[in-house]
Amino acid sequence: MDRLKSLFSLLLITASVMGVLRVVHVSIPMVFPQTRQGLVDVGSLAEVRRLAGFAPLLPAYRPALLGEQAATMTFAYHPQPTFVIVWRAGDQYLSVTQQQGGPMPDHPPLAQPLEAVPGSTWWIDGTRSRVILERGQFWILIETSLPPRELTRFADTLTPY
Amino acid sequence: MGIVFYAWVHRVGLPSGRTKRLLLTLLLVLPLVTAAIPGRSDLAFAERVAWFNSARLADVPLGAGVYLYHVAWFLAGLLIVLAIWQEVLPSFRHPRSAQADLPEWLLPQVRERSGWERCGVAVSPLSSIMLATGGWPGRPRLIVSCGALVSLSAADLSLAIAHEHAHWIQGRWWKSHLLFLARLIQCYHPTALWAFREYCVEEEIACDAVSVAGRDPAPLVRILLRIYQETDPRDVAARSALRKRVDVLMNGGPRDNALPAATIAVAAGLMLLVLPWIV
Repeated sequence: MDRLKSLFSLLLITASVMGVLRVVHVSIPMVFPQTRQGLVDVGSLAEVRRLAGFAPLLPAYRPALLGEQAATMTFAYHPQPTFVIVWRAGDQYLSVTQQQGGPMPDHPPLAQPLEAVPGSTWWIDGTRSRVILERGQFWILIETSLPPRELTRFADTLTPY
Repeated sequence: MGIVFYAWVHRVGLPSGRTKRLLLTLLLVLPLVTAAIPGRSDLAFAERVAWFNSARLADVPLGAGVYLYHVAWFLAGLLIVLAIWQEVLPSFRHPRSAQADLPEWLLPQVRERSGWERCGVAVSPLSSIMLATGGWPGRPRLIVSCGALVSLSAADLSLAIAHEHAHWIQGRWWKSHLLFLARLIQCYHPTALWAFREYCVEEEIACDAVSVAGRDPAPLVRILLRIYQETDPRDVAARSALRKRVDVLMNGGPRDNALPAATIAVAAGLMLLVLPWIV
């Protein structure tokens, strides 16, 4: 009986401590959203403003073949608040990464400004085209498997959701 | 997990003895085992799978650009300095001693003990009662203070030497040194500090029990009380350990099988089950 009692108290104490730890784990990000580590799946575009505190910038022009609905939407608090949205159809995709502040995303030294698009730096990496845009406090990285000429149209039609 | 064990040990009123030493050993060693699980330190595991991610707590802002992790770093740094100052440096700082002042009768009394046939003995000029051992298995060294030689009777000195000798039998030297290594690896961790210090006190209690086995513990209690009186009142930890040793001796000695082996196995299993999910 004593044996059972000592085991029961061990289980009870462990469960209590684990319960407290879980409450702390779950409640801290509610009070301090920036404490959340890693990527967070975003359910809807409206949720981005609540999570990030800024409106997502999306290209109003998107080829119909990519579909209307985004394949994935994720948000990261670290190291900079960053929202990533990806449209995908088979091998073709379009990804927009919106980073608030911080250093300019990495780019090769031979990257060039995109003609007629101010604050842009673009380059081709194999079959992928990429452009970095400076828009106020944000760095926008657009990456696509579509032809490079589409980058200008994506950049020109960026609008807040 | 340290909190769980601390609360449990107090709740069941676990007395000093082998069971307590075993639990403290588990508390020092098992976190090293679970820390080595591959992928446990990944961000994805910490954020999506783990039951508790301490990085979230560490990232809580305290204002003026200070975060909780700054406080944690400061405390960890403090613990590392404390470990070096109180545990590592003393092992290099042996008490001043000389072979020349050695009383003739002391050496045979020391070397008649098993495993101590080649034990070196030296006398420290300290006027307080102090006996300590050093060296390595096969080449141990006993240091006795002048104070101990002057103020302890032959029987009391034999008792104190028996206590020191107990540290070198039944694998105690190896166990305590391996655990010291486990403690040094976790030198930043307050639980490791607490568990190792508790283990050291438990070791002293076990050696007290060996030295008074089949004898009246009163002489050893008297020696410990004299050492207690000579200890600086500011050395709270040393005085507290001495008080505990006296209490255990006065209450019939340690209880080696306070909990059944199955209960300890369940506690170890529970620890192995729970620890990986806390990062």
